[in-house]
Amino acid sequence: MPSLLLPSTRREFLHLSSKGVGLLAFSRFAPQFLVQTSLTAPKPEKDRKILVLVQLAGGNDGLNTVVPFSDPAYHSLRPTLALDQKDVLPLNDSLGFHSACAPLHALLNEGRLGIVQNVGYPNPNRSHFRSTEIWETATASDETAASGWIGRYLDNACAGAPAAADPDAVHISAEVPQSFGGVHPHNTYGLALGARAGKNDSALLERLATQGAYTGHGQPDTNHDFLRATLMDSLVSEKKIQRILDANKPEATYPASPFAQALRNVGGLIAAGLSTRVYFVSLGGFDTHANQSNPHANLLRQLSEGLAAFQKDLTARGLDGQVLTMTFSEFGRRPNENQSGGTDHGTAAPLFVMGKQIHGPMHGTAPNLAVEKNADLTYSTDFRSVYATVLDRWLDCPADTILGARHERLGFLG
Amino acid sequence: MTSPLDPREAWQPLPASEWNADLARHLLRRAGWAARPDEVARAVQQGLAATLNRLFPATPPPLARPAFIPLAQDRINALRPLKRGALDQEERRIYEREERELERTAGVELTFKWLQAAADPSRSAYEKWVHFLTDVYVISMEKVRSAELVYQHYDLLRTKGTGTAPALTKAVSRSAAMIRYLDLDLSSKKAPNENFARELFELFTLGEGNYTEDDIKQAARAFTGYRHGKDGFRQNERERDTTPKTIFGQTGPYLGDDVIDLVYRQPAAATFLPREMARFYLTERTLPHEFFVPLGQDWRASGFNLRELCLRFFGSRAFYAPTFRANYIKSPIHFYLGLLQDLGLDVLPLQRTTLQPLRQMGQTFLLPPNVRGWVGGRLWINSSTLAARRQLAETLCSPLDEDRLNADDRLELEGARDAGHSRFTVDDERIRTFASLGAPGIAERLCDFFLPVRVTPEYRATLTQFLTASSPAEAEAKARRATIAILQSPEYQLC
Repeated sequence: MPSLLLPSTRREFLHLSSKGVGLLAFSRFAPQFLVQTSLTAPKPEKDRKILVLVQLAGGNDGLNTVVPFSDPAYHSLRPTLALDQKDVLPLNDSLGFHSACAPLHALLNEGRLGIVQNVGYPNPNRSHFRSTEIWETATASDETAASGWIGRYLDNACAGAPAAADPDAVHISAEVPQSFGGVHPHNTYGLALGARAGKNDSALLERLATQGAYTGHGQPDTNHDFLRATLMDSLVSEKKIQRILDANKPEATYPASPFAQALRNVGGLIAAGLSTRVYFVSLGGFDTHANQSNPHANLLRQLSEGLAAFQKDLTARGLDGQVLTMTFSEFGRRPNENQSGGTDHGTAAPLFVMGKQIHGPMHGTAPNLAVEKNADLTYSTDFRSVYATVLDRWLDCPADTILGARHERLGFLG
Repeated sequence: MTSPLDPREAWQPLPASEWNADLARHLLRRAGWAARPDEVARAVQQGLAATLNRLFPATPPPLARPAFIPLAQDRINALRPLKRGALDQEERRIYEREERELERTAGVELTFKWLQAAADPSRSAYEKWVHFLTDVYVISMEKVRSAELVYQHYDLLRTKGTGTAPALTKAVSRSAAMIRYLDLDLSSKKAPNENFARELFELFTLGEGNYTEDDIKQAARAFTGYRHGKDGFRQNERERDTTPKTIFGQTGPYLGDDVIDLVYRQPAAATFLPREMARFYLTERTLPHEFFVPLGQDWRASGFNLRELCLRFFGSRAFYAPTFRANYIKSPIHFYLGLLQDLGLDVLPLQRTTLQPLRQMGQTFLLPPNVRGWVGGRLWINSSTLAARRQLAETLCSPLDEDRLNADDRLELEGARDAGHSRFTVDDERIRTFASLGAPGIAERLCDFFLPVRVTPEYRATLTQFLTASSPAEAEAKARRATIAILQSPEYQLC
C-alpha cells in the first residue's frame, strides 16, 4: 500500500530527504515499487510478449556457422577454414551446424529454433559502426535515422502510457544500443555485463544523491532538484532490478561465461514479471580477421550454450510461450578466407530465432557461393523482413509504420 | 550594495578585489568545459582581465582542415563525370552512394578534429564560443551534405568571431553552407526564397516580434542571386533584384549587405545576441529585456564588436551573480569534454565510444535538430539521456579492453597514439596513484575539483567513510567507484 509518507511533489521530497527519509520515499515510482517488491514475486502477465535481442558484435562468419558442407565452392573458397561433413551437425543434405552449435542443433530438432538464411540488405556497408547503425535504425544503407527500430516500437506501444516503474527496455551491453533510441524518450535501463553485475555499484551514488551535496539556492524547483528527482527515478528501477536479480533462482544451469550470465539475469527479470518488453544482450569478438578457427568455435559455443540454458530456464518456468529470442550481427564475412587464416568483412549471414512458437527450421534461401575472389554474398532476405515479422506477428504492432515501408513477412512465426 | 541584477550595475566590471578561485572555477566551467586546478591557479594569479584576454584571443588559433576532407573532395570530383556518364539510374546510384559515404566519413573526421581542439584547455573557451556561434548561425550536415562546406562555415565563424557582428553576418550570408542550408541558391529574382531572410531576422539578429512578414518578403528580394561555385561565392547578376524595397519603413534599392546594415540599426539587434549568450552561458530562465539594454547600448557603441562583447559579458558582475552559479545543466558536449578535462583524458577516436554516447545523450555535433539549434536546459535530461551520461562516466573511468575492439577501431587507436594521444580512459595505474592520496585526500579532490558547489560536511563525510579501505586493492576499487559516483551525481551535471 502506498505509504502516507510519500510526498506528492518534488519539492516535498527534498524536504523529507533532509529529515532522513530514504530514497524510496521520494521517487515518482515509489508506490508501485513498494507494492511490487514483496518477496513473493508477482506472476508474470500471461499475455505479454517479450523480445530478447542477441547481438553478435563484430560480424559473425555465417558460412562457418551454418555450413554449406556439400558445396565444392565452399571448400575452394576456404582451403583451410572449410568444415567437412564429418565436422558438422546435419540440418539437411547440404547444410550443417558448426559442431560447437550442438545445443542449438538440439533446439532446432525440438522445433524451438529457426534459421533465417542469408539475411542482409541492398548496397551493404562494411564498416562495423555504420552497418550496426543500419541494422539498429532499420534504414536503407544510404539513409540515416535518428531513432532505432526498438525505440520506434516503444514510441508506438508505450505512447500515452503512464510512466511505469519498470524500464520499457533493458540492455546488458557496454553501450546503450542505438536501436533503443526513440523519437520520444523512454525509460531504458542498462545492466552491467556478466555475473558480476556489481551489487554496490550504485549504492554510493544513491547515498550521495539522497543526501545532496548542498542545500540549494533557497529557490524553489531548481535544476538541482530536477536532476535529483530524475536520477532517483532511475535508481528506484535499478534497486528493484537488483533485488530481483539477488532473488533469482533459475531453473537451469547457466555456464559461467559473461554472456550466459547476462541471459540468466534476463531470465530472472522476465520471471519477476517486469513490464519490460525488450531485452538486449551483446556477445562480442566476432571480428575474426586472423586464425579464426578456435576463437570462432569458442564464440559459437558460448552463444549456443547460453541460448540453450536460457530457453531451458524459460521452459521450466512456463515462460517460453511469452519470449522470442533473435540474434543479429552487423554483417557476415567474406566467402573466401584471407591469408591469415581468418575472414574479412562481408555481407549477408544467417540469424537465429528461438522460442516455443517457432514454425519450421529453415527460412529464406541459402546463399549462392558462385562468387569471384574477394567478392561478397548477395543477401536473399532483407533484415527488415525479419523485423517486420517480429513486430507484426509477435509484438502485435503496425510494423509498416514503425519501419516506414512495407516489408515481406516471413514464416517463422507461422 | 546594488544587486548585480540591477541592469545598471549588472554589466559593470567585476571589481578586481572580488576575483577569487571560486569565481575562476565558475568562469572556466561556463566559458569552457571544466575547471582544472592548474587553470584555476593560473586564472587567479593572472587576474580576471588578463585571463579573459587569454581565453578570447584577438587572433584565435586555426583549426586545420582534416586530412580526409581534400581526399574525399578529390574522389567526389572524380565521381562527377562518372555520374554524368552513367548508363542508367542504377549505375548513377552507385556513385551517389559512394559520394554520400565519403561525405559522412569526412564529417566524422571533422567532428573528431573539433572535439580534440575543444578538449585542449588552452583552446576551450574560444572553441566553445565557435560552438555558440554555430548554435546561432545554424547549419546542418544533413542538408549541406558536404564536410568541406561545413568546415568552411565553421572556419568563417572562427576567424570572424572576434570581429564585428555585421561583418560576421555578411560573411555568413555568403557562406556556401548557409546558402545551401537556407535555400539562397534557389532564390531568384522571379521567385525570391524567404527562408534565409526569415532566419536572418528571427534567429540570427533580431528575434521574433521585431520585424513584419512584409519586411521578410522585401528583404528576400535583396538576397536573390547569391550562389556558390567551386571558386566560392558569386553574385548572379541576372538574378539580382535592384529595384526599390521597403524594409523597416525605409525605402531604397537595397542589396543583401544593405539589409544587414539596416538590421543592425534596429534597436533589437543590440540586445539579441547578448540575450542568446545569456541563454547559452548563463541561464535557461528568460531574463527581462531591460536587463540587456545597457549592455546592448555599449555593444552598439563598440560597433558590435564580438570580442569586446565577450570580454564585457564574462567580466561583468552579472556573470558572477550567485543566482547564476551551479544551476546550469551541461549540454552533452559540455558534459563529455568536461569529463575529458577533469579526468585528464584524450578524445577516444572511436565512433562507438564517443559519437554514439553523444547522440544518446541527445546531441550530435554538426546535426542540430533544426534551424533553431538545441533548446537545451531540462530538455537534455530524461531517463534515457541520464542513463547514457552515467554509462559514459563509467566507460571513461574503466580500463579500455582493447582485446574486445574490432580491427577498424584498433587501427584508429594506433593512429591517435601516433599523433601523441594515448590517455583514453582512466587506467589502473592512474587509479593506483589516486588511491594513494588516502580517503580524505580523494574526497577532497572529487568534491573540490569536480563539483560546482561547496559540499556540506556531511556529504564529504559520506564519501570519506565510503573510501575507507582495509587493503590496497579495496582502496583502488573504491577510489574508482567514488570517482564514477561523483561524475554521475546530479551536481556534476551542473555548472
